[in-house]
Amino acid sequence: MVNHTEELLPPTPGQRVSKFLSRKDVRQTFILGAFFTIVFVVLGIWVYPHWMPNVLSKEMQADEDIMIWFTVISAPIAGVILAIAMESFLNMHRGDTPPEDGIAMRTHTPVVIIWSSVSVLFIILALVWGMVSMNTDAVKAATDAPNALVVDVTGSQWAWSFNYPAQNITTHTLNLPVDRPVTFNIISADVNHSFWPVQLGVKVDANRLTTTVIHTTPDKIGVLDVKCAELCGLYHAYMETSGQVESTTDFNNWVSSIQAQGGTQ
Amino acid sequence: MSTDTEFHIHHDSAEKVGRRERLGVRLLIVADGSFVFGMMFSWFYLRNLNENNAWLPKGVHTFTTASGYTAAIGLIIAALAHRAGEMNHGLRRVSSIVVFLALLIGAVYQWHQMAHMPFIAHDDNGRPFYNGAYASNWVLVAGANMFHYLLGAFVALGLVIRGYRTKLDPVLEEWRQRTAGSWFTWIAISGILCAIAASFK
Amino acid sequence: MTTLSHAPVSTRPIPNPKRSLITRLNMGTGIIVGAIFCWGTYYAMRAGRDMTDSHNVNKVLLASMLMWSFGFLVGIGALIGPFRWLIGKDLTAEEQLYLAGDGQGVKRYFKYCTDHKVVGIQYLVGVMTMLGVGGTMAMMIRTNLATPGSHLVTPNVYNSLVGLHGITMIIAMIIVATGPFGNYIMPIMIGARDMAFPRLNALSWWVLFTAIPVLCSAWFLGGIPTGWTAYAPLSDQAGPGMNAFLATIIIFAVSTAVAGMNITTTVIAMRAKGMKWNRVPIFVVGATISVALAIPAFPTFMLAMIQTGMDRTIATGFYDANVGGSGWLYANLFWIMGHPEVYVILIPGVAALMEIAPVFVRKPLFSYNAAIAGFAGIAGLSVLVWAHHMYMSGWMPSLNGPFMITTEFISVPTGLLFLVLVGTLWRGRPWMKLPMLSVYAFLWNFLIGGITGVYLSDVPADNYLHGSMFVTAHFHYTLMGAAFTGAMAGLVYWFPKMTGRMLNERAGYIAFWLIQIGFNVLFLGMFMAGAQGQPRRVADYAFVYEHSNMISTAGAYSVGIGMITLLWAVVHSWRNGKIAPMNPWGAKTLEWTVPYPVPLENFDVEPIITSDPYGYGKAAN
Repeated sequence: MVNHTEELLPPTPGQRVSKFLSRKDVRQTFILGAFFTIVFVVLGIWVYPHWMPNVLSKEMQADEDIMIWFTVISAPIAGVILAIAMESFLNMHRGDTPPEDGIAMRTHTPVVIIWSSVSVLFIILALVWGMVSMNTDAVKAATDAPNALVVDVTGSQWAWSFNYPAQNITTHTLNLPVDRPVTFNIISADVNHSFWPVQLGVKVDANRLTTTVIHTTPDKIGVLDVKCAELCGLYHAYMETSGQVESTTDFNNWVSSIQAQGGTQ
Repeated sequence: MSTDTEFHIHHDSAEKVGRRERLGVRLLIVADGSFVFGMMFSWFYLRNLNENNAWLPKGVHTFTTASGYTAAIGLIIAALAHRAGEMNHGLRRVSSIVVFLALLIGAVYQWHQMAHMPFIAHDDNGRPFYNGAYASNWVLVAGANMFHYLLGAFVALGLVIRGYRTKLDPVLEEWRQRTAGSWFTWIAISGILCAIAASFK
Repeated sequence: MTTLSHAPVSTRPIPNPKRSLITRLNMGTGIIVGAIFCWGTYYAMRAGRDMTDSHNVNKVLLASMLMWSFGFLVGIGALIGPFRWLIGKDLTAEEQLYLAGDGQGVKRYFKYCTDHKVVGIQYLVGVMTMLGVGGTMAMMIRTNLATPGSHLVTPNVYNSLVGLHGITMIIAMIIVATGPFGNYIMPIMIGARDMAFPRLNALSWWVLFTAIPVLCSAWFLGGIPTGWTAYAPLSDQAGPGMNAFLATIIIFAVSTAVAGMNITTTVIAMRAKGMKWNRVPIFVVGATISVALAIPAFPTFMLAMIQTGMDRTIATGFYDANVGGSGWLYANLFWIMGHPEVYVILIPGVAALMEIAPVFVRKPLFSYNAAIAGFAGIAGLSVLVWAHHMYMSGWMPSLNGPFMITTEFISVPTGLLFLVLVGTLWRGRPWMKLPMLSVYAFLWNFLIGGITGVYLSDVPADNYLHGSMFVTAHFHYTLMGAAFTGAMAGLVYWFPKMTGRMLNERAGYIAFWLIQIGFNVLFLGMFMAGAQGQPRRVADYAFVYEHSNMISTAGAYSVGIGMITLLWAVVHSWRNGKIAPMNPWGAKTLEWTVPYPVPLENFDVEPIITSDPYGYGKAAN
């Protein structure tokens, strides 16, 4: 494989690269790397939309996108690691005595530098993505706030209750009109809970005596699951309720029906 | 190990063992420092948060600003006296007795403070509770001081007694004095930090 | 077997006459005195107290538990040394030799023995016991979750299972590598004759030992409802079982501080001649960075527990919002410990694999400096990332951005760890023995744990994932898939030195594959459940999560069977395994230059180090 006459002259970088690329183990590693990368990309794109529940808000869409695209971006990195591992695995030595020694390569500075730089770039990409997404949410929340529907959420052991101050109703299910911004003010009556309307992709803890606030805008009609995501004692698992994102007319009808019952569901 | 040599720990010189012991104690001081940092964090976090306006609820009595420093005086005197003993070896026996007494008296005073806290209230069932986060933090800080006093007094008593023993390795003892010095200095610093925190009502 | 240049340990005359107190104390007297202190405290404090007040109940129980620990230490003779120091009559050479277990055979494992090898074995048995207990609880959790409806246990028992599984495993994993291997192997690796503070070494183990019955007592006091994170104010509200949790952590924090200080000092001050910092085996570096990180980290956990204890006993209000407290204070203190702690767990496991990989690939460790930079970078950043556990708590949303930055940057040093391992594998021809297989398992598991960690560190994605099963799966991938895999590799790798016998290979392979395949099935199922929206720590769930949970449970059984196989392999091989040669793997670190049984002071002649232990290989062509 190695032509010794060539080594009389110091190889140019181009020659070194082409020699490197012509090695059988390198080629195999590339093929394996491509394979693992594709597997991870496909998994990322297919798995999360398939697993995650209905997307009923932009926030939820952003959450899902991050999971998909971060998988896709990290696929080449995973591909490199798994390919090198697999290549060496396939080259294994079995038996009761150790194999011959390999090459005495103690380090390779360019590789360390490239590796670190790539991971820094990856992190910066992830950070920028996250920051932009966070900022978009925050800006949207601020502009939406004036005409938002306000819902005061109280977590107590082990139930959620929702108070719609403008409508003057108190309920145990969370119904929301579609395409209207919502502001949740969350508080706990006892220990910590975590308010999680699953399909809306937002979440925040309910704390005693301190109100936490989250904003979202449901943009599709569908069923909502509301759960508690913070262990809160005995019946934590059962501290859930359901709800509905519905058309404005349906929502208004629902509000009137509860007002007709005296304001309490 | 051959059987004809006398057994020393690791056959190491007293100099080496002494240096190592000081390193160990300093690492434990790091751990203790982290604890004290946590207390400072609690103090200032709860003070700034003032949850439910109950850092200092209306009508709760407080200690004076001086109380925190008075509680630390024993620790400070001990550290200074120990330092004096290190500067002048002729003073060592006297200074170690001073260190011990300062810590002992300081501990008694700290106990007195803890027994006469002005901010304990009683709930509807007549059961006592610490009214406000200030009160909670104060009792914790006093407890930490108490722990430092007692542990320091133990070390100081050892040094007093050992000062009268003649059969001990002088090099190692010298190192132990220095090691103890690290501890006394730290507990004095910690006492002052606690006192500074405690002055923020 | 190698020839011994001196008489074996067991045939030497017992140096101390039978009359002194020091020879009479052992684990039995410790338990007796501990029980007396415990019950004495209990009855003395009960008398005249109104036991309908929960504060009084907590006071009595907490004090009894801590007094058990103290009494045990009195009874086993832990305080003899300090007392003798106090009165200026230091332990004589003879007594120190006795304490080191010289000539006491198996008995020394039940004594306050200062020999680091005895402590290592004690830790090993302790860790395996804890993993067994924690694993049994995990199996019960998974069995309960196999189908919707929570048929096996009541919610109270379930919550206790979740919490006690968590804390048992966390404690076991913190010591899983640094306990057995850090104590047994590491001093030999650096050419030391013992640890820097042998008596404190014994203390760290026996203090930890006293925590085990305390933790178990939680079951008899009604369990704990809080999970291992013990969030306040739920922990303020919890029943008497919570006291067991608090006492356990307080005792454990003492043990960790002592052990961490001891190991750090040993490595800094007791390396053999010529072992410069760039010649220290990477496992030693990793273990040291890990325990050195634990030194400042754990006291804040202890503080959080002391504050909870004060709330529960003397009615302070650290976490009671009515009197000015805040659960966020707890969360901060807890996670200031909690995030460094996961790296305390992870680093020694990775370091063990880095020690193993060059031996089996027969190549030098790739970029020793990158490995150290990776460990140091992780340790440094880990104290700045704690609030990523609190993105969704409502505490300072304005800090989410900064904490996201620090958290994601921790992937850079973590990436270096990958680089070191794949660089070592590159162009290698690995000798596929059991420890080496773990390197591959680690790469796969930690890759998944790492990538999912990047989602979780991203605030918007955490909006959805926080508090879900996804988080549970992620940290099991890192703690079990990475750290435990490393520790298991370490066990197989150092088993010949610690027991003198080879681990049964066939059983080892079976266990390995059952555990690793089962593990991946188990936690991929859990990722699925999390992505579907199942919260963590729930005793029961809706039908939509049925399949993912069934998959998880199936995987869990595979892991369970694998663990039992591994346990059988360990026990069987320890008793009747093939006698191991002095250096079965052909490794170059110092522990393989001493015979089994390792002599009391390890080395007859102090070794002098002239190079690092990775001098494998021929020049590249």
